[in-house]
Amino acid sequence: MNTSDSEEDSYNERSALVQCESPTIPSYHQDHDMSLPQETDTKRGRPVSSGLDEPGLVERERAATPDGEEEELTLKYGAKHVIMLFIPVTLCMVVVVATIKSVSFYTEKTSQQLIYTPFKEDPNSVGQRLLYSLLNTIVMISVIVVMTIILVVLYKYRCYKFIHGWLILSSLMLLFWFSFMYLGEVFKTYNVAMDYPTLAMIIWNFGVVGMICIHWKGPLRLQQAYLIVISALMALIFIKYLPEWSAWVILAAISIYDLIAVLCPKGPLRMLVETAQERNEPIFPALIYSSVVVLSADERQRNEGGALAQEGVESEDDVALGGRRRCSAEEDLEEDRGVKLGLGDFIFYSVLVGKAAANGGDWNTTLACFVAILIGLCLTLLLLAIFKKALPALPISITFGLVFYFSTDNLVRPFMDSLAAHQYYI
Amino acid sequence: MNLERIPNEEKLSLCRRYYLGGFAFLPFLWLVNVLWFFREAFLKPTYTEQLQIKSYVKKSALGLIVWVAVLTTWITIFQHFRAQWGEVGDYLSFTIPLGTA
Repeated sequence: MNTSDSEEDSYNERSALVQCESPTIPSYHQDHDMSLPQETDTKRGRPVSSGLDEPGLVERERAATPDGEEEELTLKYGAKHVIMLFIPVTLCMVVVVATIKSVSFYTEKTSQQLIYTPFKEDPNSVGQRLLYSLLNTIVMISVIVVMTIILVVLYKYRCYKFIHGWLILSSLMLLFWFSFMYLGEVFKTYNVAMDYPTLAMIIWNFGVVGMICIHWKGPLRLQQAYLIVISALMALIFIKYLPEWSAWVILAAISIYDLIAVLCPKGPLRMLVETAQERNEPIFPALIYSSVVVLSADERQRNEGGALAQEGVESEDDVALGGRRRCSAEEDLEEDRGVKLGLGDFIFYSVLVGKAAANGGDWNTTLACFVAILIGLCLTLLLLAIFKKALPALPISITFGLVFYFSTDNLVRPFMDSLAAHQYYI
Repeated sequence: MNLERIPNEEKLSLCRRYYLGGFAFLPFLWLVNVLWFFREAFLKPTYTEQLQIKSYVKKSALGLIVWVAVLTTWITIFQHFRAQWGEVGDYLSFTIPLGTA
């Protein structure tokens, strides 16, 4: 998916003079309901643009500083953004892997499948299994494409109420139903007695505060935590209800779709981003994870006058930058620069790592996939810093993840097992 | 959202809404209110609305303590006496542990 960088758009009048554009990031969340053919929206990552995006800021910087300065800032921001995204992605994966390893419910295969993967894989015949997984993938991807196009159309024709209603319904389902299922399974695993009144209180509190934080206003950390939790829940549902081979093919197909949808001129995601950028609107908060970098005051150089506002400038040479004054000589203003990653990215990364953990239970494979995904994320953010426009965050990471999974599972694992069996340590 | 960036009236209104919302059986909301506005209410230099924010934070904390007491009592009672209650205990239980009485 795309990771995007957007400025905090709630500047008050004391803010710096430069208006920061917030590149909107469309994200589609795919929600699957097992029993009801409910609509799903696909959550996707958003385009990522680097933090130095505002034209005014970049121009002034270029005027006042040599190019090396700007590159240095870009790289500094790039590094910070990478770290800021590592933590939530890692947390999400840790939650999923921990659940998979401890709660057996999510690894038990039932005969029940999502309606989006109608073909049942027969474990006996390789050819049929392959064919059915391809067919399942085609069904799933077409559902995703259709949903994405519907979302883009709705957005273009400004049917905001409908989109918001849809998002609220899907987050309601996630926050209440899936967490209810999850809690039930955790309690069964740990053999804990739980009564209905307490359970009702827990689910009610969790759900309502989650809705408030995600859709309205709440502390940033709590909102981020909730987004991570619902991504993990969604990933667990996928891991349970997608058939074995179909899941891998779907992962590969979704990365390709992401690539097409974001980079092609007529791709739905790209159109969504551009429309949102034209209208200068932020993307729906329920679909993307945003973290903000808050520059503390002491990182900025200040004039004795105390009224120099510096936007996102950290290096000492910036003292030389004049010409940026705040309207009033207030105390330190903190600059927020955010990186945004779509929730769909979280979900699919976690699905990959979760499936690696579920199959065979070998930690080598799991860790290898984890590292692969993080490397992919790094590379994506690097490309983002270079290209400064919306980029899909799925393809590179998922490709690396798949390659590492299959090679570790088939090459490294037998090797390590052999070594261990012969007590030969390297 | 960042509390630094919004004007004081909005902070007050937010605190107040969180406080009122907590009455709908939402002690978690009160907890969030206390933690989020603690710095605003007690550790920041005084401003006009701070007194009211302080009062809301204190009331939320009070409500939270009451709820924690109630829930702890109920959970203790339930866990201790569940087996003895027989049918009622089973009726109230969401999950029943295996292998015990």
